Amino acid sequence: MSAEFGSLELCVEQREAGVVVHVRGEVNLYESDRLRAELKRLVHQRVEQIVLDLAEMTFICSDGLGAIISAHIQCRHHAGRISLVSPCPAVGAMLDATRLSELFPVRDSVDEALSS
Amino acid sequence: MAETKVIQSDLKAARRLEEQVLVEVARNGYDEAATFAIKLALEEGLNNAIRHGNAGDPSKTVRLETDIDPRRAVIVITDEGGGFDPQTVPDPCADENLEKPSGRGIMLMQAYMDEVHYNQAGNQLRIVKRNAREQRP
Repeated sequence: MSAEFGSLELCVEQREAGVVVHVRGEVNLYESDRLRAELKRLVHQRVEQIVLDLAEMTFICSDGLGAIISAHIQCRHHAGRISLVSPCPAVGAMLDATRLSELFPVRDSVDEALSS
Repeated sequence: MAETKVIQSDLKAARRLEEQVLVEVARNGYDEAATFAIKLALEEGLNNAIRHGNAGDPSKTVRLETDIDPRRAVIVITDEGGGFDPQTVPDPCADENLEKPSGRGIMLMQAYMDEVHYNQAGNQLRIVKRNAREQRP
């Protein structure tokens, strides 16, 4: 499933071990609600493993980070989890600055995230 | 300030404004890291002004003043709200706040910009980014 609007594209891929959301473009102030809604939908489906592939995500604002954290908290209700894959250096630095890299496992590849 | 623009408390108007500022930033030769920082701080500042300062009230306005040259970018964002004390905002990096979904905007601005100041009333933000390219000998 792919949905494009403005500068954000979310592509959801069903894998055997979980669901991968390929996040492309910018999760900015104006589009972070779309990421929030997509993650909420997956949480409501009680997906156990959500992998956010950030390799092609060029920007994220605090609202976008908040959307990921909210989903992370909601996932706990069904023992689910969220992991992040391949953030670009600028986003990786943001995750470190906010200490969110301690909250979420950050993996080098989707396969690594799904098998961990 | 070199340029002043006023918008209603509207995210679409804020987006258009942001795009205009980033064109100016690019025109003045800022590198990728500085542009990322300015974009981030601008979004966080405008978001705070519209959603928190003006509480989303469309009858209230946000004023954006910019002074951008090849040495440094100065941005001042003023809302019509009652203001707040930034000292009272909890540290989002503290262990007990790490899982809170909100409250990272000010921290990110402080991490990415060279200067972040609020006025006494707490309804005006002044942020500055120096151009690293211009600082090199």
